[in-house]
Amino acid sequence: MHLAYTSEQQAFRAEVRAWMEANVPKKPLVTLEREDGYHQHVEWERKLASGNWGMVTWPEAYGGRGLDLIQWLIFEEEYYRAGAPLRVNQNGIFLLGPTVMEFGTDEQKARFLTPMAKGELIWAQAWSEPNAGSDMAAITSKAIRDGDHYVISGQKTWSSRASFADWGFGLFRTDPDSKRHKGLSFILFDLNAPGVTRRPIRQLHGDPGFAELFFDEVRVPVANRIAGEGEGWNVAMATAGFERGLMLRSPARFQAAAERLVALFRKHEAAAAPAAREQVMQAWMDAQAYAYNTYAVASKIMAGGHIGAEASLNKIFWSELDRAAHRTAMQLLGASAELRHFDGGALNTWLEGYIFSLSGPIYAGSNEIQRNIIAERLLGLPR
Amino acid sequence: MDFTITEDQAVLTQGVRDYLAGVHAPELLRALDASDSRRSADVWQGLVEMGLPGLLVPEAEGGLGLSLLDGVLIAAELGRAGVAEPLADTALIAAPLLGKAGNQDALLAAIATGEAKIALQHPVNPWVADLNGASHVLSVKDGALLLAENNGRADLLESVDPLRRLYAPVAAEGTEVGSADALLDHAALIDAAQLVGVADAMLEQATDYAKNRSQFGQPIGSFQAVKHHLATAVVKIEFAKPVIQRAAVALAEGSASAPVHVSHAKLAAADAAWAMSETAIQTHGAMGYTYEVDLHFWMKRAWALSGAWGDRAFHLARIDAAVIGGALPIGPGHSFA
Repeated sequence: MHLAYTSEQQAFRAEVRAWMEANVPKKPLVTLEREDGYHQHVEWERKLASGNWGMVTWPEAYGGRGLDLIQWLIFEEEYYRAGAPLRVNQNGIFLLGPTVMEFGTDEQKARFLTPMAKGELIWAQAWSEPNAGSDMAAITSKAIRDGDHYVISGQKTWSSRASFADWGFGLFRTDPDSKRHKGLSFILFDLNAPGVTRRPIRQLHGDPGFAELFFDEVRVPVANRIAGEGEGWNVAMATAGFERGLMLRSPARFQAAAERLVALFRKHEAAAAPAAREQVMQAWMDAQAYAYNTYAVASKIMAGGHIGAEASLNKIFWSELDRAAHRTAMQLLGASAELRHFDGGALNTWLEGYIFSLSGPIYAGSNEIQRNIIAERLLGLPR
Repeated sequence: MDFTITEDQAVLTQGVRDYLAGVHAPELLRALDASDSRRSADVWQGLVEMGLPGLLVPEAEGGLGLSLLDGVLIAAELGRAGVAEPLADTALIAAPLLGKAGNQDALLAAIATGEAKIALQHPVNPWVADLNGASHVLSVKDGALLLAENNGRADLLESVDPLRRLYAPVAAEGTEVGSADALLDHAALIDAAQLVGVADAMLEQATDYAKNRSQFGQPIGSFQAVKHHLATAVVKIEFAKPVIQRAAVALAEGSASAPVHVSHAKLAAADAAWAMSETAIQTHGAMGYTYEVDLHFWMKRAWALSGAWGDRAFHLARIDAAVIGGALPIGPGHSFA
């Protein structure tokens, strides 16, 4: 164990910091859950790509920098330190990208990865269906083979980014007689293809962050299928593993929130409830603990190890610390917490953050599902 | 930057775990509980033969010269096995402090051979563990750490933990060998490390019970309510571990921020162990409320270690001064500040 950065790592940090200071928009962008904000965030993705900062952990061949996980953590720290915008291409960077790299053909890698890295195509995910949420194996949307195409019919929901994104990926039942985990395939589709209807769903904050997708005999080339027909479940599980495992939520995000929370507490200290002081300290401690754990997991993976069901521990920890930190901020703000904008017009980012934090324990596998995984796979309790 | 333990550290830890699982099983705890002294010369001799007292003693003095990081890994194993012999105090807390003090070669050598046992007296604790039976006492006066031979006898205080031996403090005196704060930080760190081991032991006991106890025709561990309680406890335990390791490295390096990280470690470990103790008794149901199942030894150890070497209020105050007070840089990029 050696808990200090090498001179190369320090130099890398300085390089990221310099670029961020020169390029991060001075004025906060409009939320990416709205059309105008979405396009601002796509512009930011392209700006990142112009500096080759879009997909830092990807291999250079696909438009990345081939960085290791410690460098990724440093990049993320500088990204959040600079207050840079949220990543509208999160689905591509951390979910689809690694999936295509692991399971895609060379042709698929060339076709999808480079445009993703350049911010030219923004991706939506399409897992859940009205009757397949936590129970994802209950998917019924069909993709029926017709020559060198699939014909997709059905419905997806809670589809992140789908209101405005270009392409989507998800699981479809390619064997209509199959049940549960079998007979599913992982398919990429153009959201503007004939037969695709998007119905934006207003989220808790009022903006259309995700959408319902209706597929009415949408023709998708077979070449858009990742891995073999009927192998979709395993591909999706690997994708879900990337999401929960390490990279979905970098610790810097929560360290930045804890830092802001400490500043907020100092401002409201005189009127704060007695418990608030401890809650603020807990937010800092938990963000730090999450950072140490992430450095430990990153070090383990770099040494040839893997992350398995432990990923469920991470997902519970960050989602619950995030909610608690934002709840503390809401309580510190007291009667001002409900204001969408403060006096003077500044957006109440604590309110926005609190609303978003409520989704954390639900998406990417609800925390109840995560607790089942921990109990069954880590502790060996019976199913 | 490398946040991993080495293969050697993993092997050593596993070796100690296996040894203690054999010689220091719950049957031994029950036997000690039924004895007058609650201590066993045979158990101590076994620990000596394993080389445990000398782990952090320099090699020149007959020890293994290991680091404080090794110390916290071993301390967790002592907690897991419910060891009450004064091994952690002597070998994992006093030895590194005396090693830094200089001119203590003879005493360090005696620690490595198991002849010396060091009792630790600090104003943060109203009592001293294992004072009787200790060859030496480290005590505190005016912020200085003093070393003296132990000649006195003190009054025994009864702990709820049947294997803890607590005594009223003696007069602080002796040769100056360091600072009171150094004792507190080392002891709080090793205390935290023992607490996660205690928590892991309770988790294992509760999990085994949930697998084996059936109601409504199935193991209670198949019920989601039970699973989720245990899973919640696992999250707290697992996220305390890297905090302890990080604090061990900071303290070993003499980092100025080490006390904050030690306090974080103590809070995280105590919160995890206390939560685990309540989850474990709940999982055991009425059996958990008896003296007959083993759980109570570890539950009581968790209460005891949580209050020792700085309670919640003490350690929160140190976090407060650093984090809210602004002495410590915080935010992204300051993970290792």
